[in-house]
Amino acid sequence: MAGNIDYTDINRIGPQVLSYLLISLSYLGIFHKCGVNKLFAFIPAVREYNIALCADKEKEGRTYTVLTCLYYVDVIAGFIFQGDIRVTMFLAIPLLGLYVALFIYGIKIYQGLIQIFERKRKWIWAFIFFKTLTLFIWGLSRKFQPSKKVVSLKGVSGAKELGEDIKASDNALTVNISKRTAIDFFKKKVLLKDIHMSIPKGHLVLLLGGSGAGKTTYLNAVTGYEKADARIMLGQQDVYEDYEKMKYDIGFVPQADLMRGTDTVEMTLLDAALMRLPVEMSVMERENRMAYVLDLFGLTAVKNSLVDKLSGGQRKRLSIALEFITDPELFILDEPDSGLDGVVARKLFEKLREIADEGKIVIVITHTPDRVIDLFDDVIVLAKDARRTGRLAYYGPVDKAYEFFGKESMEDILLSINQKDEGGEGRADEFVEKYADLMKEKVG
Amino acid sequence: METYEYTHRGRGAQTFIYLGKLFRMFLFQNDWKVLPMSAIIAALVAFAVGANLFDTMEGTLMGTFALSCVCVWNGFFNSIQMICRERAIVKREHRAGLHITSYVAAHMIYQAILCILQVCITLFVCQFMKIKMPEKCLFTPWPAVDLGITLFLVTYCADMLALLVSAFSKTTTAAMTIMPFLLIVELLFSGSFFTLPDEAMPFTNLTATKWGLTAMCSQGDYNSLPMVSVWNNALKMKDVEVEGDKPLLTAFQYIEQNDMRDDFLMASAAQNQNPEFNYDAKIVLKCWAWLIIWTAVYVIAAIILLEFIDKDKR
Repeated sequence: MAGNIDYTDINRIGPQVLSYLLISLSYLGIFHKCGVNKLFAFIPAVREYNIALCADKEKEGRTYTVLTCLYYVDVIAGFIFQGDIRVTMFLAIPLLGLYVALFIYGIKIYQGLIQIFERKRKWIWAFIFFKTLTLFIWGLSRKFQPSKKVVSLKGVSGAKELGEDIKASDNALTVNISKRTAIDFFKKKVLLKDIHMSIPKGHLVLLLGGSGAGKTTYLNAVTGYEKADARIMLGQQDVYEDYEKMKYDIGFVPQADLMRGTDTVEMTLLDAALMRLPVEMSVMERENRMAYVLDLFGLTAVKNSLVDKLSGGQRKRLSIALEFITDPELFILDEPDSGLDGVVARKLFEKLREIADEGKIVIVITHTPDRVIDLFDDVIVLAKDARRTGRLAYYGPVDKAYEFFGKESMEDILLSINQKDEGGEGRADEFVEKYADLMKEKVG
Repeated sequence: METYEYTHRGRGAQTFIYLGKLFRMFLFQNDWKVLPMSAIIAALVAFAVGANLFDTMEGTLMGTFALSCVCVWNGFFNSIQMICRERAIVKREHRAGLHITSYVAAHMIYQAILCILQVCITLFVCQFMKIKMPEKCLFTPWPAVDLGITLFLVTYCADMLALLVSAFSKTTTAAMTIMPFLLIVELLFSGSFFTLPDEAMPFTNLTATKWGLTAMCSQGDYNSLPMVSVWNNALKMKDVEVEGDKPLLTAFQYIEQNDMRDDFLMASAAQNQNPEFNYDAKIVLKCWAWLIIWTAVYVIAAIILLEFIDKDKR
């Protein structure tokens, strides 16, 4: 068999294999220092993703990994078709593009590595011109230590659960979310877990939570837009089972004013009315409803203006009016006060208070709750637990929330539940468990 | 238990609501600018390559290629930004009950009207600039209408391809980056104008330009036209001497004296006829069918892509 070995092939592939092994060996050292599974250093594509994790460049790491996979596919295809010069040439074009893209992403990741290892920026030149040698030094030398390790959730247990469903009530929105999971880059993530509450009709509710706590995921699960392992009841209606009809009974106002700027206010509202109101509604009823909504949100005077010509406050009110046209039972607003000054924001929240007083459930996300907190009945506090899962840390009246968290403002409550690396106190698990105990006492 | 007795507007009604929106945008968002733009492009093409269109083989091939390019250009620019510029709005409206099929259907109707107007403008400009039209007609009593149908189908096919790109792209920048690539593919793989290797020929079936060019050449009865390039090239060599004589000059003098120039041009053309360009209704219908099939494929793909709009990240 030895006589069949083509030594020119060995000469060609040999240095590449050696370089791969050297880099893997270097990655092994870096992974050990950063707290990543060392075996990953030898697996193609997986090692690329994990070096990006070490560099705190997860997003870039995903692209880097995909590019690496494509690169290997192209190289293997080139090897298979090496006899056909036209195919080889054809494959060489994307290979060149992939090589450039890998180079650029490599630089981004090594820059991140330099920051994490707290070294001078000049090191990037060493990575560009002597990549293998530089990685070898960084991996094996004890002088090079990261300032931050990769957070591993393996073996970390989340805060204990309530695990009890709340009974549905005629006059409330009953939320029983067991779990909301998502697959993200081949990894299963639990976004929300064990959230149970009953929000009475006529309540204006503040939804509070730090970045990544799952506020939008929670709202999407509640509205049935992204279904969770959950049972959501609006009165005695199951939102998930009757979603196609119930969606007209739920208004969701997104953070951005998503409307066509080159249409008039009246036509924008008319189109929304035509799309969302029942066919059975007479033209007269529809026009009356439109006139009422225009008046309620102070848009009558500008009804013939183009949306682009409206002020920030007017545009926000129109965005809310588009959802309110159907007179929804459940009304959800994602940061309706973003970009508005204090006075305009206060007026807007007073309008929302009026809507809640009509017997609707209004849930609002806002990042500046304290200026309008007197208008709210309840507050929902979502927090990331130790496993980075969105959990319910509190739901109840606003005044009791201060008592529960031992704080004097909503911003202080937010700080107490935020993770330490986000500048918070990192007490999310403590409050999640405290609230679960409180609920167990109540439910029995 | 409370029961719902209300119904909401279905796909048909929603299509007309969105059609209304699109026509208002035509006025307020300056989408009407594509109409004068198509007139300018048609005038430029007519001026540059219109002289021998449907008059000689070479002029017809070049002219129909240019006309196909005009159609593709118009189609691309009509809709390349239509969806991606309002993607977040569509996502919001989809959440509130918009049917994607209605949304795309509204675009299809609106773009069809726009394409018809552009084809009318193109034909009017060609007539105005005294461009020769095909003399015979295969389907309707008017050759210009037959040609107009081909121009419309090419424009509409390109339009729907751009709509697909617009549905696929998250931003207008991404859509405008992809567009030149598609344009170059449409031009290079038109099949007849550029000589391609045999392996590349199947790819020409993907392009609207190939079917447009083939249909127009067939409608213009390409194979009955004279070929002038051989004559013109030979004429340039008339003074070449062979053993003291000028055989080409002698031949030309003979041909002219006997009034055989046209016979020569037709004989030259006979050697270069292309059976794909025969004056045959079947060929034109086949080209139209391909254009319609591709249009349908693009529309279906756009609908499928847009159905996943809810997956867009914030």
